[in-house]
Amino acid sequence: MTAEAGFPVEMVSGVPVVVVPEEIDITNADNLRAALSEAASHGQGRFVVDMTRTQFCDTAGLHALVAAHKRTRTGGGQLLLVMPGAGVLRIFEITGLDQVIPHVASLEEALARPPDAPAQPS
Amino acid sequence: MTAQVDPEPVEVRFRAIQSITDAALSGLDDRELLVALLDRVREILRADTAAVLLLDVSSGQLIATAAAGLEEEVRQGVHVPVGRGFAGRIAAERQPVILDHVDHTTVLNPILWARGIRSMAGVPMMAGNRVIGVMHVGSLTSRQFTEPDVELLQMAADRAAAAVISMNAQADRLAAAALQRSLVPTALPAVAGAELAARYIPGDGAVGGDWYDVFTLPSGELCVVMGDVAGSGLPAAVIMGRMRSALRAYALETRDPAEVLDRLDRKMQHFEPDAMATVLYAIIDPSLDRMRICLAGHFPPVIAIPGQPAELARVAPGLIIGVSPEARRHVTTVPIPPGALVCCYTDGLIERPDEPIDVGLTRLTRAVTAEPAEAACAAVMRALVGNQAARDDIALLMVRRQPQSPIIGSG
Repeated sequence: MTAEAGFPVEMVSGVPVVVVPEEIDITNADNLRAALSEAASHGQGRFVVDMTRTQFCDTAGLHALVAAHKRTRTGGGQLLLVMPGAGVLRIFEITGLDQVIPHVASLEEALARPPDAPAQPS
Repeated sequence: MTAQVDPEPVEVRFRAIQSITDAALSGLDDRELLVALLDRVREILRADTAAVLLLDVSSGQLIATAAAGLEEEVRQGVHVPVGRGFAGRIAAERQPVILDHVDHTTVLNPILWARGIRSMAGVPMMAGNRVIGVMHVGSLTSRQFTEPDVELLQMAADRAAAAVISMNAQADRLAAAALQRSLVPTALPAVAGAELAARYIPGDGAVGGDWYDVFTLPSGELCVVMGDVAGSGLPAAVIMGRMRSALRAYALETRDPAEVLDRLDRKMQHFEPDAMATVLYAIIDPSLDRMRICLAGHFPPVIAIPGQPAELARVAPGLIIGVSPEARRHVTTVPIPPGALVCCYTDGLIERPDEPIDVGLTRLTRAVTAEPAEAACAAVMRALVGNQAARDDIALLMVRRQPQSPIIGSG
């Protein structure tokens, strides 16, 4: 099994985008971690994690995202989450992480956002 | 000596190695297995000593763990730094090394040259592409270990590595399970007018990081904790144990549940900066008529009041532990009428593949009714778990205020 199994990293308009599957839990959180590291190494400090399809993300998945967010922020970059209104956004509200990790509702919005736009929870 | 004059065909020697490890894998502890394997290696390669050194990752040292022939290596706790000496070079280069001249310039371990070892061969023990140790043989007479000798040694080392990996994993699982058992209260406290019931199910047979705790304060208040540490196995169980004790200590110092969780968060971020966990902490009045609750990234409890459909308690969300040192959480006061049931749980109870979390939460609120705590636990487990194996840990804790609470009379 490759580290990126189920977690393709695509370059869209020059920005690395990690496409997250329906569910992240303890069984595939390491794959997410690997994909986040890869995306962070490709972008100029900025990358997008597309969770449009994601319905469930447990503490192991949140842990991977928080670690990547902290690392990116320390390096002056930005991790931007894509979460439409339903689905996984609820988990981010419950954990309070919607107030910590910047997020937008669609991939188009994420790519349209200027690289130095201030991080603001939607 | 060359492979051609070898009296035993290579296949026979291979089978000899195979036979011992297959038979020995069951029933021996790892040290006994390694010694048995090394005895056979020594015999087959006609060597005078055979030894295994395992890598201690934290110190970067190879530590003599098992030996046949020169057992004092192990008894004296020989350590060899990776990159230095014979064994250290094998670990650093991840390559077999054959040595036909043994002295203090080529071998770091003085026991080997002081006892007159003349020739050596050693191979790395690998777990995937990670070095976990070195196996080597030595001869008191000058000889050239051959390529077939090294192949045999590598085969024995591969088998030893597989055994060490599986036995280490097994030891970690047992330790994590023992720790978990010691941390989750076996007997819930008896509190007049309240009923308590709980379940803990490890996911997929492995222990994760879920825990719950119930204790009373000197004030007579009843405290309820439910938590979920990110990760699994021994590392998560260790973090869980530290969080449980720290929370108990802060609970004695302040009666403000938000202050307890904020302090716990600061403590974790300082001492365990890589840890992350959700925690629910509720303090129930001695009269049982309300709880003051604070959430750190945890799901709100479900509350069932007699005669009403159960619902998620409306509790202010608070940031998960381990993210920001500035996090400040809020306390929500939730009334508990006579007969009401409070249901605390971890995400393992409500998660389903490819399903939004709200669907799981709805399933849970439908399954909870204001009935006696033990019956309510059984009903929720039946409705949400049924006969399926849990992938993640599941923790469930029910607190019910009895309909006629003796403390406050008829209410």
